[in-house]
Amino acid sequence: MPDTPWPVALFQDGPDEMVSGQGEIRAHWRGVVGVIGSLGRPAVAERGDRLTRAMLEEGVASILPGAAGGGAWRLDPVPLPLEPREFETLAEGIVQRARLLDTLLADLYGKQETLAAGLLPAPLVFGSPAFIRAARRGMGAPHRPLLHLYAVDLLRGADGRWAVLQDRTGIASGLGQLLENRRLLGAAMPEAMRTLLPRAITPFFDLWQEALSRLAPRHKPDPAVALLSPGTSDAHWFEHVVLSRELGCALVEPGDLTVRGGALYLKTLVGLQPVDVVLSRLNAMGLDPLDQPDSHAAAGVPGILDAARHGALTLLNAPGAALGEMPALPAFLPALCRHLLGEALHLPSLPTHWLRANEAPPPLPPGHAAWAFRPAGDGLAPESWTPAPGLPQAAIALPPLPVAPALEEGKLDPVPLVLRMFAISDGMNWQVLPGGLARHVSPGTRLTGRLPGAGWCKDVWVPADPGESIIGPAAQTAPPLAIRRTPAAIPSRVADNLFWLGRYVERLDRGARLLRATIARLRRGGLSPRELAELSALTLCLREAVLVDDEARVSAGSLTPLAEALMRGARPGVRDLHRRIGGLIEAVRDRLTADMHATFTQTLRAAEEALAAPLPDLQDLGRALIPSLRFANAVAGVAGENMVRGGARLFLELGRRMERAQAVAGEVAVALDGPPARIEAGLRLVLELCDSVITYRSRYLGVLQPAPALDLVLADGANPRGLAFQLQAIADALGEVSADPDDPGAAEAERLLAIAENITPRLLAARDQAQEAALLPPELRQIAQDLATLSDVVSRRYFALLPPARAVGVDMGEAAVIEA
Amino acid sequence: MIYSLRHRTAYAYAQPVDLAAHLLHLKPRALPGQRVISARLTCLPAPDHHTETHDHFGNPATRLFLAAPHTSFEVEAESLVDVEFAPPPPPEATPPWEAITAAAEGVETADFLPPTRLIPALAAATDYARPSFPPGRPVLAGLLDLNARIRRDFTFQAGVTSITTPIAEVMRTRRGVCQDFTQVMLAGMRGLGLPGRYVSGYIRTRPPPGQARRRGADQSHAWVSAWMGAGLGWVGLDPTNGIVVRDEHVVLAWGRDFADVSPLRGVLLGGGAHRLTVSVDLESLEDALPAR
Repeated sequence: MPDTPWPVALFQDGPDEMVSGQGEIRAHWRGVVGVIGSLGRPAVAERGDRLTRAMLEEGVASILPGAAGGGAWRLDPVPLPLEPREFETLAEGIVQRARLLDTLLADLYGKQETLAAGLLPAPLVFGSPAFIRAARRGMGAPHRPLLHLYAVDLLRGADGRWAVLQDRTGIASGLGQLLENRRLLGAAMPEAMRTLLPRAITPFFDLWQEALSRLAPRHKPDPAVALLSPGTSDAHWFEHVVLSRELGCALVEPGDLTVRGGALYLKTLVGLQPVDVVLSRLNAMGLDPLDQPDSHAAAGVPGILDAARHGALTLLNAPGAALGEMPALPAFLPALCRHLLGEALHLPSLPTHWLRANEAPPPLPPGHAAWAFRPAGDGLAPESWTPAPGLPQAAIALPPLPVAPALEEGKLDPVPLVLRMFAISDGMNWQVLPGGLARHVSPGTRLTGRLPGAGWCKDVWVPADPGESIIGPAAQTAPPLAIRRTPAAIPSRVADNLFWLGRYVERLDRGARLLRATIARLRRGGLSPRELAELSALTLCLREAVLVDDEARVSAGSLTPLAEALMRGARPGVRDLHRRIGGLIEAVRDRLTADMHATFTQTLRAAEEALAAPLPDLQDLGRALIPSLRFANAVAGVAGENMVRGGARLFLELGRRMERAQAVAGEVAVALDGPPARIEAGLRLVLELCDSVITYRSRYLGVLQPAPALDLVLADGANPRGLAFQLQAIADALGEVSADPDDPGAAEAERLLAIAENITPRLLAARDQAQEAALLPPELRQIAQDLATLSDVVSRRYFALLPPARAVGVDMGEAAVIEA
Repeated sequence: MIYSLRHRTAYAYAQPVDLAAHLLHLKPRALPGQRVISARLTCLPAPDHHTETHDHFGNPATRLFLAAPHTSFEVEAESLVDVEFAPPPPPEATPPWEAITAAAEGVETADFLPPTRLIPALAAATDYARPSFPPGRPVLAGLLDLNARIRRDFTFQAGVTSITTPIAEVMRTRRGVCQDFTQVMLAGMRGLGLPGRYVSGYIRTRPPPGQARRRGADQSHAWVSAWMGAGLGWVGLDPTNGIVVRDEHVVLAWGRDFADVSPLRGVLLGGGAHRLTVSVDLESLEDALPAR
C-alpha cells in the first residue's frame, strides 16, 4: 500500500543509543563523543564530505548516470559503537538462531517432521515462493549446512533489548558495503579508530574464505570457489565485486557456467575449469531452468541443482535457504527452538502473528508504535501498513525506531536506524562479525525485504573490551589459513568485455581525433581546394564512424551542412561511446585495481561532464572533446603500467590494436581515394590522423612524397600509430593467448603484416609513386575486411558464451504426430 | 490388471543441439494398488550422464544430460505394471465436503490447495463446481457429480488448446483435452477448498470388451486425485471419461499441475526448430494373449 503514510509513532520517543534515560552519555559512546569534541564539528563535517567524495571517486557510486549499479550508499562519519558485553549477548543469540534455522531448513527440505507435528503450518511453507520444491530431498537428508551466511536486522524491542525485525537466510546482502565502510571510515576518521580500537573485521573474512574451501564436496583440497552473480544489472553488483576480491574467488555469471558429466564447470579461455563451491547471489527461484519450469530457460544454469543434489558441488547458501526468511516464521520459532534444539530462544523476534487471509491482527501490544504487514511467506517483499486483502499475512509489532547521532548539514542530530549483523559457518562453528551495518531509515525507505542498493548508513563498531586482547579470541583459535591461489584462467565473458573495452576506448580516441581535425579546418574558413579535399575525406571517415549522419557533405559553395551535421551528431555519438565504455568498466571491475578503477572512472566522468555541458558552437565542441582524448590516453597508460602482462591486459590490448588497425587501413583508403594529382592532400591528412606529422618532418623535413609518408603510417613497425605496428601486436597477442606457435589467427595477422610491409618497396619501385599509391585503397579496404573477419574468428574461438538455452516439452494438446 | 506400457518420444532438430538436459517423469510410481513389475528407459543417443531421484512429491524422476552434438533424440519408456486400485467407499459414507475443506491444512494436502501458475484461482471454475456441492453433501458424491458434469459439458477436441491455454479460455470454449479438463476440475475443487492433485499417466489403449474407446488413449493422459479426508485418503477421478480410476489407468506421477510432472521436458543449446513424435501404447496383457 504505497499510499498509506508511515506511522508517525515509529519516529517518536525511540530509544537513544547515545544518551541514557537520565540524560547521560552512555559509557561506550564516550570515546566517540570525545573524538568528535576534540576534532570540532566543522572538521567532522569536512570528514563527512571527504567520505562522500571517496565513495564517488573510488567507484562505490556508479560511473555515469544511467550506467550499471544505480545509486550509491552514503556513509556517516560517526560510527555506531556497540557495548562489548551487549555484543557478546547478541552474538550468542545470533549463533543460536542460525543453528535453529539451519536445523529447521534441513527438516523442511527433508522429512518435514515439523510440519507433520504441527509445529509449523504446512500452508505457510507450501505457500511461500521461497520453498524450492526442486531442492527437497523427501527420501533422504539434505546436505548440511543449508545455512552458511546469515544476517539479522535488529531493532530495540519494547523492553529495550535488541530483537529481530527479519532474518536473512537467502542472499544476506550488505557485507560488501560493510567492508567499504570500514576501510573508508578508517581513512577518514583515524583518530576515532585509534581511540576506540574497534575489533577488526578482517578475521571474519579470513574465516569466511577458509570456510568456503572447507565446505567443498568430499573435502576436496584446494577447491575452486566462485561467486555467482546475476551481473552488472543487479543492485548489489558492487558488493559482488568487492566480495569476490576479498574472498579470492572467481566472479562468474550464469552464462559462464555449464554442467557436464554431473559436475559444474567454468568456461574459460583455456577450456572448461571445474568449480567446486558456489557462493550464489542468484535468487534460488531462477537458478536452474531444468528443474524449475517457471524460470526463464536462458537464465540460470541447467542441471546445477542436480549436480548439487548429488554432491558434485556445494551451493551456498543452499538453494531454498531463503525459506528461513518467511515473515510469519518468527511466530513459531520459540516452540521450534525448544523442539529442535531443546533450548529456549535467546534472541527473540519482534512480536509476530501469522494471519490467514482477511484475518484481523490482535490489539497492538503496549510499547509498540505500529503493525507492519508482510506477505506471510515472502521474505523479499517489503512491509506495508495495511494488510493485503485475500492473502495470508505476517503482522509484526514495531516499536519506535532506535536513534543515534548522525551528521547532517553540519549538525549532529539523532536519526532512526535499523542494525544488520552477520554470521558465517564452516559447517561446524558459527562466527559473528564484530560490527555491522546500521541503515538510516526515514519515512518512505523500506524497513524490511531486500536490502536497497543505496541509502545512508553507519559503520558499527565493537570497541575492544579493556580487559580483552585486541585480536580477540576468535582469531586466536582459528587454524592457520592455507595458502590459496586463485584460478588464473579468465572467464570467457571477462575476456570478451576487456576486448570490447579496448575496442571502444580506441574508437573513442579515433572519433575525437577525427572530429577535432574536422572542426579545426571548418573554423579556419577560406579553404583551399586541397583543404576542401581533406575535409571531404574527413567527412567520409566521420560518416563511417557514425559520428555524423548522411547529410554531412562538403561542397565548395557551403560548409554549413557539415557544420550542422557535426553539431547534431557528434555529441550523442561520443556520449554513446562513453556510456558503453562505462558499462564495460563496471563489468570488468573485478579485474581492475582500486587505483585503476578510480583513474578510469574519474577521467571518464570528466570526459562525460565536458560533453554534457552546453556547447553553443563548434569551437566549444572541439574543446569539450579534449577530456575524451585524455581518458583514452589514461586507459592506455594505466593499463601499460599497472596490469600484469598476459591475461586481462592481453585482451584489452588485442581489442585496441584490432580497432586501430582497422581504422588506419580504412582511413588511409579514404584519404588516398582520389585522382593521383590530389595525393598530397591525402598524405597530409594521413600523417595528421596517425599523429605522425612531427616524426615525418624530423625524418624528411618539408618534402612530402608518397613512399616515405605511406611507409611511416602503413609499413614502419616502429610507429605505434601505424598499421604494421598494430598487426605485429595482434600477431603477438594471439600467439600468446593460444600458446601455439602455429596459431592460425596469429598467422593471419602475419600475412596481413607482410602485405603492409611490401607497400614501401612497391612504391619505391614504381615509376610514378602517386599512380601506384592510387591503387592502394581497394587493397587497404581488403585488409580492413580481413581484420573484421579475424576479429570474428577470435570472438568465436575465445569469447563465445554458451548460446542461450531454450526449453522444450511434450505438450498433450500440441499437435504432435501420434503414431497409430 | 497387468499392462505392458510403451511410450516413445522422438525429437528431430533442424540444427545440431550442442548440449541438452532433460527431466523425465516416465517411470510409473509404485503405489498401493499399482505394482511396478519392471520399468526401463532407452535413449538414443545414449546420455553422457544420468541420474535417478525422487522429487518433492515422491515421484521417480530421471535426468539425462547429452554433451555431444546431436540432431535427434529418442526416449522409449517400457514397463510392466499391475494395477488394481481399491474401490472407493460408498459416496454416502464419505464425510460432508465442508469437513474436508476444514481439515485440508495438513502436510499431506496443503500443497494441493493454493493457486499455481497453470491453475490460478478462477471464479468461473469455482462457480461451475459449486452446484455439485450443496451444503452437507458427502464429498465423494459431490466429486462424482462434478466429474460427470465435466464429461458431459465439455467437448473433447485435440489441437484447439495447448499447455499455454489458460483455463479461463477452456471455461469459455468448453473444449480441450484431458489436461484442460483436469485443470478445470482442480481449479473448481481448490476454489471450494478441496485438495486435489494433478495426476499424469495413461489410460488403456483398447477399451474393456463391449465399451467405447476411451478418450485420451494412445497418448499421455491426465486426471484428478481428490482427497476424501484423513481416514479415506485419495480417489482417482477421470473427468475426460467421467469415470473413477480403478484398473484402466497407470499412474506415472502427481503434482500441483502439469508443470510439476510433465513427462519429458528439456533445456537445449542450439537445435533450431524441432519436430516431435510421440506414441503411447498401453496394452492389457489379457488382450495381448490369446483367449484361454
